[in-house]
Amino acid sequence: MPAGELVVETRGLSKRYGNTVLAVDQLDLNVHRGEVYGFLGPNGAGKTTTLRMLLGLIRPTAGSATVAGHAPGDPAGLARIGAIIETPAFYPYLSGWDNLKVVADYAGVPDSRLADALEQVELTPRAKTKFSTYSMGMKQRLGVAAALIKEPELLILDEPTNGLDPQGMIDMRKLIVELGKGDRTVLVSSHLLGEVEQMCTRIGVIQDGKLVAEGTIGELRGAATLTVRAAPVSQAQMVLTRMLGADAVIQRDGAFRLRVDAGRAAEVNRELVTAGVEVSELVSGQRSLEDVFIELTGTEGGL
Amino acid sequence: MNVLGVLQGEFLKLRKRPAVWVCIGILLLLLLAFGYLLSWIVFTYTKPPTGPNGVPPGVTYADLKKGLYPLHFIQNTLNGGTQLGGVLALIIGVLSQGSEYGWGTVKTAFTQRPRRLEWLAGKLVSVALTMLVMTLLLLAMAALTSFVLATIDGGDRTWPAAVVILKGILSAWLIYCFWGFFGFGLATLFRQSAMAIGLGLAYALVIEALIFGLLSQFVGDPVRKVQQWFPLANAQYLIQSFGPPTREVGANPRPPFADATHAVTMLLLYCVAFVILSAVFLQRRDVTS
Repeated sequence: MPAGELVVETRGLSKRYGNTVLAVDQLDLNVHRGEVYGFLGPNGAGKTTTLRMLLGLIRPTAGSATVAGHAPGDPAGLARIGAIIETPAFYPYLSGWDNLKVVADYAGVPDSRLADALEQVELTPRAKTKFSTYSMGMKQRLGVAAALIKEPELLILDEPTNGLDPQGMIDMRKLIVELGKGDRTVLVSSHLLGEVEQMCTRIGVIQDGKLVAEGTIGELRGAATLTVRAAPVSQAQMVLTRMLGADAVIQRDGAFRLRVDAGRAAEVNRELVTAGVEVSELVSGQRSLEDVFIELTGTEGGL
Repeated sequence: MNVLGVLQGEFLKLRKRPAVWVCIGILLLLLLAFGYLLSWIVFTYTKPPTGPNGVPPGVTYADLKKGLYPLHFIQNTLNGGTQLGGVLALIIGVLSQGSEYGWGTVKTAFTQRPRRLEWLAGKLVSVALTMLVMTLLLLAMAALTSFVLATIDGGDRTWPAAVVILKGILSAWLIYCFWGFFGFGLATLFRQSAMAIGLGLAYALVIEALIFGLLSQFVGDPVRKVQQWFPLANAQYLIQSFGPPTREVGANPRPPFADATHAVTMLLLYCVAFVILSAVFLQRRDVTS
């Protein structure tokens, strides 16, 4: 596959449970080779269902998907994909080594890969102890090792920092960034903005099963903004909405964030003062990813 | 095809799973204790009771003791070891599949390379081979024990014909496979172990016996015509085809309603039915846990 080619591509991917629950709705996802793609959304937005569909665990109700050049669940495609869906699941009575051996047997991978995979996640010293005795962080790292034994070109990681302590989260993020270097593609889902911001080169935001935005962090932040503090707030809101339109005015924490070119700062100030509004602060800047997320999803989930 | 890879993985899992060895160990111990040692002690150190609950007229404990010697080890094992063994085989079959749902390892397996049906094939073959190991261990232990007891008593140490031993191995294996696949099918259907073991045990210990026990009270012999299509009855026909249990020597027991061919055919059909049931559910359902 040449660089820049889509490693994951979905078109109109949908999953409906019964007649009422539409978990994923007409999803068009585009993940390019070599990027660390953050699949961001609040809890229950449809992230895990989507990832399960990409791996062939769940059959879509409608739409299509191509993953690593194959249909979801196709053995040829799965041979090129490493995945952790939700918590890593292994056999509690087997050691880390034996669990990896089972996975390697299933995947048709030689045992010679096991030691490398364990070394990569720094689990070698505990390789011979039972999985049931592992801490959450160790379980997660064994999951990553299992995902790596196929030397996959695509890694699909569903909320990989879930349940980890702060140090474990930092280590996992570092590992993911490291794994995403070079030609390998990483698709990582999360409901944590900061996490995605630190790890990912591109982001897709899902809300109520729909992809509401997709792009680089810079693209999603969009153009520069103006932050205005003014009183009375209700009158300022009225003036700004009339001037810029409701979509361009976001009120939060007693301030207005305006999606408007910073060059119009003087004009905004003049309009407000003319209308009898007292302006105490007028600052140009860029929207944070948090603003974008809240604007897109209407939630502060994961913040 | 990656069935061999799955099989390798399944063997590792079953070999290292304590629950499997506990089940097999319990079976061996119970057969040893109740099938041989207890009987031998009773026949050696006590006198036969008299009255309606005693041994049949003209039969002595020495006659019954001969049933513990090598010539009868196949029928002794089948009579003593297949019902309890069936229950334990059911548990092994349930655990082999139900635990995958409990631990969430179905998704781990399905995100590797094998297709779902390849995974199923590997698992079922591994269950069947575990049943073969259980059968061989059980018969080996019975053979050894019967030989030791005959030697202590200075009794007959003649072995059954090779063909009888082979038929015995295959019969016990088939009965265990039926139970194992029954458990596997229930676990696939319910996607858990608890419900599968509960219903499986209820069937094994109560349902078939209760239904036909009650019906025969009111309807009488025609019930046996219906019963011949049910699995436990067929397991019993197959066991009976090796002769009556040693404790029934001289009791002139009732002959089986159907022959061994009928029993083997029915048990094989049940095995196939459970394989198909498992395949359909596994192939069609989403993996959501």
